[in-house]
Amino acid sequence: MNKNRARKEDPLIFISRFLNKLYSEWLRLTYPFAFMGSGVSINHTCPISRLTAHRISLGNDVILKKDAYLGVSRPPEEEGEPVIEIEDNCVIHWRSQIGAKNHIHLERDVIVAQDVLIIDQGHAYEDITKAIPLYEFTEGGRIRIGEGSWIGHGAAIICSQGELVLGRHCVVNANAVVTRSAPPYSVLSGNPARIVKQYDPIKEAWVMGSVRMVETELAR
Amino acid sequence: MSNAIPKHRARFDDPLAYLRRGVTRLYTLWISCTYPFASCGRNLSIHYPCRLSKTIAAHIRLGSSVLIGKDAWINIVSDGVQDIKITIDDNCSIGARDTISAKNSIHIERNVIIATSVLIQDHNHAYEDIGRPIRVQGVTAGGRIRIEQGCWIGQGAAIVCNEDELVIGRNSVVGANALVTRSFPPYSVIVGNPSRLARKFDPTKATWIGGEAGRTVPTESTYAASSGLTAGPMEREREKV
Repeated sequence: MNKNRARKEDPLIFISRFLNKLYSEWLRLTYPFAFMGSGVSINHTCPISRLTAHRISLGNDVILKKDAYLGVSRPPEEEGEPVIEIEDNCVIHWRSQIGAKNHIHLERDVIVAQDVLIIDQGHAYEDITKAIPLYEFTEGGRIRIGEGSWIGHGAAIICSQGELVLGRHCVVNANAVVTRSAPPYSVLSGNPARIVKQYDPIKEAWVMGSVRMVETELAR
Repeated sequence: MSNAIPKHRARFDDPLAYLRRGVTRLYTLWISCTYPFASCGRNLSIHYPCRLSKTIAAHIRLGSSVLIGKDAWINIVSDGVQDIKITIDDNCSIGARDTISAKNSIHIERNVIIATSVLIQDHNHAYEDIGRPIRVQGVTAGGRIRIEQGCWIGQGAAIVCNEDELVIGRNSVVGANALVTRSFPPYSVIVGNPSRLARKFDPTKATWIGGEAGRTVPTESTYAASSGLTAGPMEREREKV
């Protein structure tokens, strides 16, 4: 094989790149997003509903890869604040799902890897006399994921009540199931997830296990 | 109401299925003809769409009869070194939606079955610098991964190696959604997150030990006999060591 040709990309890939660009522009022109920054790239396979697009806010340079799903379980006629807020430079990789009823907020520079689930509600199962209904959800909570965090492959972040806050610069390992808040600069792992590593501001190093830390200490 | 369909028609597959098979056949032909693989066996089957970039194909070695499922992503983090980073030997099947990402070396030996949505990566994002977002920090140095012949990796499992070498011994089973970050000996069943050895093959007894099959169900009499819980075979093994 000619070396020059090997360096070049497969021409088939340009078809999908062209489609993505076209689809992103189509969304920008016809969808009533609460906010859509510049340089947003949305793959043409992303199932986003136009009826609830006014509750979604996308910052600058947000990338939604193939099959990434942003779902709003709110009646389409309802007006109000955005329930999904994705700030600048976030990347949501293949097949990740964000399902919001109350509020899900991804701050700047968050990486969401493949197959991740971020959901702030659950199916209501308490009534034992009938099958668990498909379109009835629990009250749910609110989720905020701090600036610069990284959610690993296959992780699930589920908040069935109250508020779940992952502080800034958190790392969620692959296949972890997070149901509780975590302070900034923590590494979470396992099912159920626990803190396996944390940044110690006094030693200025990452240490195994959980360190009690005050956010004001880090702010100095 | 299955009786409503005449039997002779049920024997033939849906013609639409042939369309899909044709696309797969064509795409496989296209890839094996135009992509500059380090080596590439016969009888491949690569489903469309599959994320496999042509620019990294020179670092990949594919054996014969390899199956790569739909939406699988084979990625190489380039560090400027020109050598083989991903080796997939004969008769392997990489399921749909799998991610294989290599920086140093990932070797999947013969007859390995990898189920869907599996992650195999020998590096990770670096997060140690708290002053910068993880997104711009690049990846860690990473290690090397070898999955020996005849293994079966279950749905949703993640095999991540941050340093040194991770080896999963031959004929091992990795359970669904397990997270594997260290090596395991041959003939083991690995489950859970964090992962643990659930069962293993005992060559002296020639049976699989541990897990549900080896554990005695505690009854009232066993509780009466001992003050604490009875130790399972795995714990007994550990005590011997």
